[in-house]
Amino acid sequence: MTKTIRVLIAKPGLDGHDRGALVISQALRDYGMEVIYTGLRQTPEQIAAAAVQEDVDAIGLSCLSGAHNELFPEVMRLLHEKGADDIIVVGGGVIPWEDIPFLESKGIQKVFTPGTPTIETAKFIEQAVFERDGITEKAAAVAPERIDHIGIAVQSLDETLPFYVNVLGLTLEAVEEVPSQKVKVAFIKIGETRLELLEPLSPDSPVAQFIEKRGQGVHHVALGVTNIQERIHDMKANGLKMIHDTAVPGAGGASVAFIHPSSTHKVLFELCEKTKNKEEAQ
Amino acid sequence: MDKQQRIKDWQEKTEQSMNRFPERKERFHTSSDIEIERLYGPEEERYQMDTLGLPGEYPFTRGSQSTMYRSKFWTMRQYAGFGSAEETNKRFRYLLDQGQTGLSVAFDLPTQIGYDSDHLMARGEVGKVGVAIDSIEDMEALLKDIPLDKVSTSMTINAPASVLLAMYIAVAEKQGVSSDKLSGTIQNDILKEYIARGTYIFPPKPSMRLITDIFGYCQENVPKWNTISISGYHIREAGSNAAQELAFTIANGLAYVDAAIDAGLNIDDFAPRLAFFFNAHNQFFEEVAKFRAARRMWAKLMKEQYGAKNPKSWQLRFHTQTGGSTLTAQQPDNNIVRVTTQALSAVLGGTQSLHTNSRDEALALPTEDSARIALRTQQILAHETGVADTVDPLAGSYYVEHLTDELERKANEYIDKIKQMGGAVSAVEQGYMQREIHHTSYETQKKIENGQEIIVGMNKFTIENEPQPELLRVDPALGEKQKEKLQKLKAKRDQNRVSAQLEMLRSAAKGKDNLMPIIVECVKSYCTIGEICGVLREEFGEYTGA
Repeated sequence: MTKTIRVLIAKPGLDGHDRGALVISQALRDYGMEVIYTGLRQTPEQIAAAAVQEDVDAIGLSCLSGAHNELFPEVMRLLHEKGADDIIVVGGGVIPWEDIPFLESKGIQKVFTPGTPTIETAKFIEQAVFERDGITEKAAAVAPERIDHIGIAVQSLDETLPFYVNVLGLTLEAVEEVPSQKVKVAFIKIGETRLELLEPLSPDSPVAQFIEKRGQGVHHVALGVTNIQERIHDMKANGLKMIHDTAVPGAGGASVAFIHPSSTHKVLFELCEKTKNKEEAQ
Repeated sequence: MDKQQRIKDWQEKTEQSMNRFPERKERFHTSSDIEIERLYGPEEERYQMDTLGLPGEYPFTRGSQSTMYRSKFWTMRQYAGFGSAEETNKRFRYLLDQGQTGLSVAFDLPTQIGYDSDHLMARGEVGKVGVAIDSIEDMEALLKDIPLDKVSTSMTINAPASVLLAMYIAVAEKQGVSSDKLSGTIQNDILKEYIARGTYIFPPKPSMRLITDIFGYCQENVPKWNTISISGYHIREAGSNAAQELAFTIANGLAYVDAAIDAGLNIDDFAPRLAFFFNAHNQFFEEVAKFRAARRMWAKLMKEQYGAKNPKSWQLRFHTQTGGSTLTAQQPDNNIVRVTTQALSAVLGGTQSLHTNSRDEALALPTEDSARIALRTQQILAHETGVADTVDPLAGSYYVEHLTDELERKANEYIDKIKQMGGAVSAVEQGYMQREIHHTSYETQKKIENGQEIIVGMNKFTIENEPQPELLRVDPALGEKQKEKLQKLKAKRDQNRVSAQLEMLRSAAKGKDNLMPIIVECVKSYCTIGEICGVLREEFGEYTGA
């Protein structure tokens, strides 16, 4: 981030449910923002005053009691009165879908309903603040760190493995089944990276379909990343089509997500994150 | 005593008690006509008599009564309340007509925090999450044509519990029902408000006094009333895990027991009226184990540490609600399935009463259709599945017994730690439970976001362009109507009597007398909840967070 964004998380009204407010506060902090949490039972007056006094870029209003239609617009009115219209205001909580257009018409920039990943909220606030401030240089894209492995589709591991092990003299590291992809995979270590041989276990496995259409051969390239969920978000923000919108379990305890080849000039790329827990366990 | 002999004695005792508590059927059987016994357990040596006991006997792991649901199903008690007292009264009568067996009142936030509907802080909140009650007039409308000597009523009210209980007693008196015939529960659990739910008013010390005043008053005047419902429900909703829910609830329970003993009450006089309230969450077997562990832990504590003599003091009786925070806004019909398995865990864990959530609660207040499906879910479990036909059917499962032992062990570690901190009141003041819960809740959120935990329909198996369901709306003009009603009341009541009563309350608050009798007189004189709590706010001060 090129600027440290300051956010006020506020609980207007009498609602005591602050699990969401506390979680989003910490998630925004972990994302690199400065967060001030007001605590419970704040009046719109107190919230607007705190926002001005703390000179925040954005306010997140959380309400689960149904009082949002009265309290959120009141916060907006008071901000306007104080000449603080430029503060980005977003809302969250138990907010019926039919109320959202009304709240947006009162100047709430976005309402995040239950189930929204916190990263989505963080990215939204960041983008809105950057747009407001005319900051064009986006946070540098985080590049993949290595080729984690190259996937090769094969009809039969038994028939193929002798070539890699006996002829090329490489080391077979592990064989395991990945139920989510209906494949059996063999990892062959080569320097810092691996070859992943994929044998389909059922005709409806994506790998079986690949072989049927295009024959055996190179199937995908896996890019090693950290914070896979954020990377998925970045890809989507750049207009890429994802096969997996959230990471799924892959071989070797990794979290993986495939990018659709239509977005990548016909190469099938996999994002692959080896989880820390797994490494610790090993 | 020899084990076989003990089991035989128990059988005989149970048969005798069945004159008073007959079972639902002469004979229980499965679809293939296998006879279902009251109780299953390995008769041989390895039966853990010490840790399991028998149903209705110490340490109550297997249930708080000997015949459990073979006599009477759990009480189906759906929490309801929104808008005006008149509207809520209609919903109550609808639920009673549909076969619900007890009432459970949801109050709006101004009522729960002791503000009248015309208070500045009440803006936008009147009638939203529950019914608005300003004075005894509203309470009369709420309970109109409901026979208070027959229906048991649970009220989710904490900081101003004394005021609402006083109103209930006064309305019953007007109906010609004396207070010794009333049965019901007030939540009255302030410690979990500081920890998780947020509707506190006063600081811990005077709050504890209000609670023990209620214990003392009810012992004399409302003997069938459950004076507190010590609640893990909201601790779990705030993001704790099962062991934390169990531990913090029991630690809070011990704090109330200590406070009552310090106030000069005898444990065997008040402990039988303590009730508990747990969450039924997603992890099925762990939840069953949690309920069983809770009974055993409480029994041991009351008998062995506190020396209670009356077996009723050892018995942990509890209400259960399915976990609201497990419901998704996405594909809301899936929530019916979640609620079903959660409710089943509560039944297999031996709950005394149950609330099943409606499918649309992540979106808004439940519609009448959704509320009916939720009740039907319980009725199907009770009448169609046969799970209620034997007592504690999961006992003896290696897995469930292991989970029960482990939850007890983990919870006891927390309880020891809280004890070292000086007990639950001081742990709350130091923010200890709050921090532990937040830590767990944030970890859970991260697991959901990186796909380690799957929430069906939310982070997996999602659909695009979901249809938008019908939602219930509260009349937005209600706040104004409630304010007008309050103005009219203030214009017609005897203002001198109101002022005199409030002054008596003030001087009693400064002293040590039991406040309940004075609060009963206040509500009868048409003092409002805001006025009564206002005097107490001035005398006791307000809590502002740990």
